[in-house]
Amino acid sequence: MKRLFVIIFIGFALLTFFDSCKKKGPETEPVQETVERVDEDVPKVDRPVLTEEELFQKRSLEEANKAGYLKKIYFDFDKYDIKDNMKPVLHRNADWLLKHGHVEILMEGHCDERGTFEYNMALGEKRAESALNYLVSLGIKPDRVKIISYGKTKPVMKGIDEESHYQNRRVEFVIIKK
Amino acid sequence: MKKILILSVIIGVFANLSPLTVYSQQEVWVGIKEGMPMIPVALPAFHFTPKSMIDEGIIRELYETLWHDLQFSRVFKLVPREHYGYIEKLDPSRIIFKDWASIQANILISGELEVSPAGRIIFSFKVYEVNSEKFIFGRNFGGKKEFTRLIAHRAADEMMKYFGERALFVSKLIFVSNRDGNEEIYIMDYDGKRMRRITYNDYIDSFPSWSINNEDILYTSYKNNNPDLYSFSIYTGKSRVLSSRGTNYSADWSPEGDRVVYTSTKSGNAEIHLLNMKTGKEKRLTFNRIIDTSPYWSPNAREIVFTSQRSGTPQIYIMDAEGTNIRRITFEGTYHDSPSWSPEGTRIAYVSRVEYRFDIYVYNLRSNSIIKLTENAGRNENPSWSPDGRHLVFSSTRGGDYQLYLMDYDGSNVRQITFKGENKMPEWQKKVR
Repeated sequence: MKRLFVIIFIGFALLTFFDSCKKKGPETEPVQETVERVDEDVPKVDRPVLTEEELFQKRSLEEANKAGYLKKIYFDFDKYDIKDNMKPVLHRNADWLLKHGHVEILMEGHCDERGTFEYNMALGEKRAESALNYLVSLGIKPDRVKIISYGKTKPVMKGIDEESHYQNRRVEFVIIKK
Repeated sequence: MKKILILSVIIGVFANLSPLTVYSQQEVWVGIKEGMPMIPVALPAFHFTPKSMIDEGIIRELYETLWHDLQFSRVFKLVPREHYGYIEKLDPSRIIFKDWASIQANILISGELEVSPAGRIIFSFKVYEVNSEKFIFGRNFGGKKEFTRLIAHRAADEMMKYFGERALFVSKLIFVSNRDGNEEIYIMDYDGKRMRRITYNDYIDSFPSWSINNEDILYTSYKNNNPDLYSFSIYTGKSRVLSSRGTNYSADWSPEGDRVVYTSTKSGNAEIHLLNMKTGKEKRLTFNRIIDTSPYWSPNAREIVFTSQRSGTPQIYIMDAEGTNIRRITFEGTYHDSPSWSPEGTRIAYVSRVEYRFDIYVYNLRSNSIIKLTENAGRNENPSWSPDGRHLVFSSTRGGDYQLYLMDYDGSNVRQITFKGENKMPEWQKKVR
């Protein structure tokens, strides 16, 4: 039964073919009524839209750190516990780190000048350690994070006003591996 | 009645024993004699053999350096130069002692300079006691012209030693400076002269400290991307990592040269560690969850002074070198650090923060009294004693940037000795070799 249908179909197709051949003859061609569009002959390839991850991978470590994906956190005078208003910053940093699973970071603890060199070395490390513990509590693996203390040797501001001191009591997040 | 008698005998024995044991711990050297009158010394211009071609500058440098050293000593008091003009000029072969007695000189130094054919300078000096008209002692020092200042320092130290004091003028300071752009370690004479850079790491180098033989230093460097503790031989250039996990700093070499105490966070918290330099064995001395830092040896190597936050705020404590018998010595104020034990063992200089200012204080272990040495002049930090315990070097921001200053044990005679870049964390050699 199936074979019969196929034979009928082929026969029908052949008939239509011969029929179309018959129509060929000396007829005048009709004037083209539509306008053909002439377009650029260079292949048009758009700059691909990079995902955030691809964009990040393209940058050097230095550029990535300048871009500021990870935000600093600040501390109270003589203290190393994470302040409530700094927790959202750490949450954002943790989210970013979870999204970029290969990134390894160095957290630098810094102090203002109103502590001694010796005590500030320990205090700076305590601050970095607090930030480390908080990130770990948010699911960041501790082996992705290193900490270092600079005490008061690397202030960002030289002033002796409270704003300068505030800016200097910080933990900075530096990307060291992508 | 019998019981009372026995009791009083026992008390008597103890009362006699305890000062005896304390005494046996101390060195023979008595240390500074506060309140002792200074010895008046006359230092007339040096004679020099007319034939030798001596640069005027060298004569002046030798004379001024020796003058300055003796003036600085707090042991000698120089008879003012103007007074020498009232009497006949000194003739080394025929000294008129009555003249020198008339201008209140007790001691007279007669110096002679000559240049050897090889271009070396030779400085000979003789010291006389004016009243008895007697020669006491004399020395000859020779060296290249570049060592003019060193020759003067050696002569001044001979004066100190003869009068029963410790030498200090050839001693050096070690410190951190960014004068060449990066924080590196430098050494210089006690008076700020003859400075020399000794690290070229191009990373932050800090917390330098002398070994007891003055040939090695301990310091912290970030050259391996972590604050590691190194020992570094400044004559051979050989460097060795002593501790490389966590933050490692504020090291101090024991007065016997065999052990090093330092702060490390390798255990997860800032604790004090004791490292035996011969066996390499290490012992942790503090155990808690708070900050312990800034260890410094007592001169008899039996005790260690350090900073601890165990009471809530950083305070100064003393422990035995085994880590036992911990007792607190600062009670007033809320922030103390950077203790430095004086070479005779009776005083501890430290930094105290009051209303965000740092000032230097000295705690006297014998009298249990505290004196304040700096006031209203920027932040004053990291005091370190001179080998004779009469002077301190420290850093201060009184002029804006960190610079190094000297002052006497009572806070007087403050003098700036560095001027370029920022200079901090000074340490004076503990002993002159």
